[in-house]
Amino acid sequence: MTRLIDPHLSNLSEMMKQMCDLSVRCTNLAIDAYLGGQNARKEVHTLSSQMMDLYDKVGELTFDMILRYQPVASDFRLIRSSLEISYGFTRLGRYAYDITLVRDTFGDLSDCKNEVIYTLSGEIKQMVRLAVECFATLDLEKAKELRTDEDLVDKYYNKHLPMLITLNNVKCALADALVLRYMERMADHAAFVGDSVSYIVTGARTYH
Amino acid sequence: MITVEQRTEFRKHFRYNVGRRLVLDKIVKCMVFVCVLVAIVPLIAILVNVFSNGASALSWEFLTQVPGAVGSDDPGGIGPAIQGTLVLIGLSSLIGVPVGVMGGIFLSEYGNNRYGRTVRFFNDVLAEFPTIVIGVFTFVLIVLTFGDFSVWAGSFALSIIMLPIIMRTTEESLKLVPVTYREAGYALGIRRWKVVFTIVLSSARSGLITGILLSVARIAGETAPLVFTILGSSQFIQDFSGPVDALPLRIWRLSSLPYDSAVAQGWGGAFILIIIVLSINIGVRYLFLHKKGQTLIKFKKLGSIS
Amino acid sequence: MMETMTKVPLKDNSTEDIKYKLIAENISASYDGIVTVKNVSMKFRDRAVTALIGPSGCGKTTFLRCLNRMHELTKNATLTGKVLLDGEDLYSNKVDPIINRRKIGMVFQKPNPFPTMSIYDNVACGLKLNGVKDKKIIDEVVEGCLKMASLWNEVKGDLKKPGMSLSGGQQQRLCIARALAIQPEVLLMDEPASALDPIATQKIEEMIQELKKEYTIIIVTHNMQQATRVSDYTGFMYLGDLVEFGETKQIFENPRNEITAKYVQGQFG
Repeated sequence: MTRLIDPHLSNLSEMMKQMCDLSVRCTNLAIDAYLGGQNARKEVHTLSSQMMDLYDKVGELTFDMILRYQPVASDFRLIRSSLEISYGFTRLGRYAYDITLVRDTFGDLSDCKNEVIYTLSGEIKQMVRLAVECFATLDLEKAKELRTDEDLVDKYYNKHLPMLITLNNVKCALADALVLRYMERMADHAAFVGDSVSYIVTGARTYH
Repeated sequence: MITVEQRTEFRKHFRYNVGRRLVLDKIVKCMVFVCVLVAIVPLIAILVNVFSNGASALSWEFLTQVPGAVGSDDPGGIGPAIQGTLVLIGLSSLIGVPVGVMGGIFLSEYGNNRYGRTVRFFNDVLAEFPTIVIGVFTFVLIVLTFGDFSVWAGSFALSIIMLPIIMRTTEESLKLVPVTYREAGYALGIRRWKVVFTIVLSSARSGLITGILLSVARIAGETAPLVFTILGSSQFIQDFSGPVDALPLRIWRLSSLPYDSAVAQGWGGAFILIIIVLSINIGVRYLFLHKKGQTLIKFKKLGSIS
Repeated sequence: MMETMTKVPLKDNSTEDIKYKLIAENISASYDGIVTVKNVSMKFRDRAVTALIGPSGCGKTTFLRCLNRMHELTKNATLTGKVLLDGEDLYSNKVDPIINRRKIGMVFQKPNPFPTMSIYDNVACGLKLNGVKDKKIIDEVVEGCLKMASLWNEVKGDLKKPGMSLSGGQQQRLCIARALAIQPEVLLMDEPASALDPIATQKIEEMIQELKKEYTIIIVTHNMQQATRVSDYTGFMYLGDLVEFGETKQIFENPRNEITAKYVQGQFG
């Protein structure tokens, strides 16, 4: 028997799926474009605004459900987490856009070595994909993995950021610093998604 | 799910000949009304008949004087009979009402077992007993034992007659009180007997009063048991251990006499008897049941509940 | 499904000594041969509101009636187990059930003020029939209880009006005042607001929040939002068993038992 809230929950699930899709595409597009030397600002901007739209819609829907149906237990946890996760996705889109802006603002960066970025990029793309899968399957193992990955990214970031001071090329140093920063934030938000999934499954809140 | 098309289809099957139904409605209403008239007409006819026939005999002397010699110019009155009836009703109620009410309480509160069922069965049997048998029984038990017809014997017989009625109506009225009031009483830590006597009994008040009045009206008119127990007399009561007169007895004897004046007095007596019963009814109801606008509230609540 | 269900033990978070006013141990009850409560144990904290939720027929009302020995008044009722009020067993042979019912008051689902009594008499009934004769004391208690039940301002003008002339919500508050008059320590409420309109319900819920400062309250309700609004602890019963018991926030945000989760989310068939 379908409860009154069920159609809305599936609506929510649809929107979240779209957001997941968009965030993966956003991330991949932004990072690949940067590494490949292309300017993907316009496309990423479109994707990012679509995500903002969806985020607004998700907000509307979740509060509507809370007002009308007073959900409890796993319904409640799912709705609460969906709101947090959708916000996280909008941040992913925002940082992806910021990465494309670096290319856009700084112009040609072909003479920069990009090794650091290159190494980290694979990890970030993997983390975003993992976050999306974690939410889709509500897998606690993946949530744990996200936390450990985020730790690694933090360590890498902390190690390599100061080393940029030694770079001769100011343009490259700045560009690398910015992109590193954005990627580190993306990793943070991917890990937050894992925390929210953990809340859905176990009911335990993670406080920072 | 029933679709719009199905609904239109189903609606076609309803009878829309409202005109015929209205006529039928009116016919049935008329029939019911006629039946009510048929039921009331005898009552009114009796009252009119009794009044018209008995009015001629009514006078102050009629109500207060002793009967005179039979067939003489001064037929006297039925004073002793009125006094006797009132005394008999009063005394029988004094015996019958407490016993009946307690019996009813027993049956309703503690009688949901084999013992209670037996008592209930015998009570129902007693209610259907021919009253003349009760009269003969009292004759043997009291009149023969003590050697004389008396008020005691008459009251005893009448109380036996009124007992089952009171027991039955008490039990029914108490059963009508919802369990929830008893439970509320128990939840307040009140002992069971206190709950029954204060809360339940007062809630069942109107039913109880009705039952008692019904039985009083019944015994006021019983003639058969009086024949064997009070004998009848032409004097006012001097002693409860001697014979006494009562209205039903007097009416019966007066009506069997060949004198017109006696028969007229019989009609008058009948009229007085009806008046006595009616006034007891109305008087008691007014005293006990119209306290502080209770009935108005009851009707208001009945309306809102239903 | 039943076999995988685990009994969740009471979680005592604080290290301080929690005072339990009423403790029910291994209560099993039946009537007419049907077992309605199966070995239920619960602890009720002092000056807190505990709600009992569950689908119809799960035994919560029967369990409630076991707590003040009303269950034994039902036909063919049987009961085993102990109920400890401040450590004293209510079911021991030495204790008079009548005295216990004065320590544990009860309010029923449908408002049932005594029909032949005025408002004043209704509230004073418990006092008068339990031997209190001093009119001054009765007056004081009646006023105090009507104030606690948030009814005083509405009826103080005419206390001699019949109890039945009040509206449904007022009648229920009158019944609560009546139950409070005998100075109980625990108040049991069996779906007190289920027959009332939303505003009357709200008044009753606000009153419960006030009362819980002085009394231990146990409320049976089939309205889960009421349980979340009003109670500190919640117990979920299903088919006679206590499935889960804990703080209300935990039961409704993160129930540990699958059946509890299904019930609170409305997924019962």
